[in-house]
Amino acid sequence: MTEDDAFFDVSKPSVRRSMTLMAGGALVGLVIAGYGLFTAKGTRSTGVPPEAVALVNGKPILRSDYMTQTQAQFTLPFDQTNAAQRRKTLDDMVNEELMMQRGLEIDLPSYDPEVRNALVAGVELEVSADALAQQPTEQELRNFYEAHKDRYSSEGIMQLRDLVARNGAGSSGASPHAVALAAAAAFHRGEALDAVIRRYGLIDSGRFMDAGHVDLGDLFQFAVRAKLDDALYGAALRLGDGELSEPIDEQDGTHLIAMLRHKLPVAQRFDQAQDKVFLDFKKEARDKVLETTLKYLHGRADITLSREFGP
Amino acid sequence: MNRATQSTQPAARAAAGRIRIGLILVVLASVIAGGALWARRTATYARLLRTEPQQVLTNPDLLGVALRLGAPLYQRHCTGCHGAAMHGNPRRGVPDLAAGGWLYGTNPVDVEYTIYYGIRSGHPKARNLTDMPALVRTGQITPQDAHDAVEYLLSLAGKDHDAAAALRGKLIYGNKGNCFDCHAHDARGVFDYGTPALTGPVYQYGGDRETLYQSIRNGRHGQCPAWVNRLTPLQIRALSLYMLAAQRGDPARS
Repeated sequence: MTEDDAFFDVSKPSVRRSMTLMAGGALVGLVIAGYGLFTAKGTRSTGVPPEAVALVNGKPILRSDYMTQTQAQFTLPFDQTNAAQRRKTLDDMVNEELMMQRGLEIDLPSYDPEVRNALVAGVELEVSADALAQQPTEQELRNFYEAHKDRYSSEGIMQLRDLVARNGAGSSGASPHAVALAAAAAFHRGEALDAVIRRYGLIDSGRFMDAGHVDLGDLFQFAVRAKLDDALYGAALRLGDGELSEPIDEQDGTHLIAMLRHKLPVAQRFDQAQDKVFLDFKKEARDKVLETTLKYLHGRADITLSREFGP
Repeated sequence: MNRATQSTQPAARAAAGRIRIGLILVVLASVIAGGALWARRTATYARLLRTEPQQVLTNPDLLGVALRLGAPLYQRHCTGCHGAAMHGNPRRGVPDLAAGGWLYGTNPVDVEYTIYYGIRSGHPKARNLTDMPALVRTGQITPQDAHDAVEYLLSLAGKDHDAAAALRGKLIYGNKGNCFDCHAHDARGVFDYGTPALTGPVYQYGGDRETLYQSIRNGRHGQCPAWVNRLTPLQIRALSLYMLAAQRGDPARS
C-alpha cells in the first residue's frame, strides 16, 4: 500500500493524515480564538454596530436617537443637515454620555440629593407610566365612583360645643351623669343653652379651643372628627341645628354635645365629581403599581436593620 | 476467501476512504457557502441600518430588503391597531395612515423614532409633548362654546354647519379655547406636536358632530406602544420603511 492510499484509508493509521488533520484543527481553533478575542463583549470592539453611531466605553449611541437629536437641534430634516451639524450633534451626545458615565463612576446618586430625587422620580414615573397612560373608560370611572361614593361629597360643617359635667358640678353634689341628665331635661323644656350651662355648672371640654377661647365658628366635619372620640363624634353627627345630645359618660366627666348649626355634607353626582374621580382613579392605579414594585424590590433586596428596629 | 478477493480489498478500502473524505469536503463547502451567505446578509442588513432612511427609500435594493423584513413584522405587530391596510380605527383613535393621517409626519427619521419609543407609551423618550385637554370638563370653555367650535370645524371641512355658531366657534378656536396653539391657525395640525388636522376629510376619532364634541369635552389621549425593547433596530428600521413605502402620507400636510 502506498502512503497516498494509507492517507485516505481511514481504517489504517497514517502519520501524515494525523498531522494534516491536527494542523487543520489548530488553524481553525486559532481563527475562532482570534475572532472571539477581537469581537467578544468585554474586550475592545473593533467596530461600531450598525444600529449605533458611536460606542462610548462600550455604550452605544443609537443611530435613531442621533438622527432625531440632530433634527431637533437644527430644526431641519436629517437629510438636509450638513456634516458639520451632524458632527456637532454627535460630539454633544458623546460628551453627554461621558458626563453621565462619570456621574455613575463617582456614585453621584448616592450623595447628591438632586440627582437622587431625579432618579427616584424617574423610576417612579417609569414604573407607573403604563398605569398613568392608560385612559379609563367612562364606565370604569362610574364604577369607581359607585365604589367610593363616600369620597365625593361636599364637606359637612358644624358649629358645636362639647360641654362636660365634672365631679362637683352644680350645687347639689349629684353625680356628673345626673347633672348632665338634669341639664339636658332643662334644655329640652326650652331653657336657653347659656342659662343651662350656668345653672348646671357645665364647662367646655377644651377640645375646641382657638387662641385661648372656645371656637364657636364653623368647623369642617373632618376637623371635628379629629378632635372627638367615636362616641362623641357619633352623637354629634346625629344632631341637627340647635339640638343637644344625650349624656355621654367619659373619663373626664359626662359630656353633652350642643349642636348650634350643622350643615350636612351633600353627595356630588358623578358628573359633578368626574374630574376628581378621574384623578383618584389614576392615583389609585399608580399607587397599586408602586406598591407592587416596592414589594418586588424588597423581596429581592438584602436589607439589614439595626437592632433597635427588632428582628 | 479466494486470492482475487484478497487482492482487491485494499483498493476498495481506499476508494471508500476517498468517498468519505469527499463527503467531508462537501459538508465543509456547504458550511463555507452558508457562512458566506450569512456574511453577505449581515452586511446587507448593516448597510440598511447605516444608510440614511431617506436614501433607503430611493434605493430599490435596500428598500426591497426592508420591505421583505417589514411586511411580516407589520402583520404580526401592527395590524391589531392599524389594520391590515393601515386604515386605523377611529373608535380607538388610531389614525388612518393610508389616508395620510400621520400625526408626526412622514419624515422617516420621525416615523422610526415613534416606533422606537411610542406615543404616550410610558417610555421616558415617548412622544408626549401634547395631550388633548378636556376643555369642557375642566371648565376652560362651556358646552355651548364647544358646540360652536364644532360648527366652526365642520365649516372648515366644508360640511353642513350653522354659520352663526361657526362664527362664534372661530373665536373660541382662536382665543378662549386656545385650539390654534396646538392645531395651528389653519387647523391643519402640527407635526412637531403630533396634533391631527381638523379640516377633514381624515379625522383621528371621527368627524361627526358628536365625536368632535366629545373630543373637545373629554379630551383625547391616544397611545402607541414603544417597540424599543421588543424589536431590534434592524426590525424597527425595516418596519418604518415598510409603512412609509406602503403609504407615503398626505402631501398637503407635509
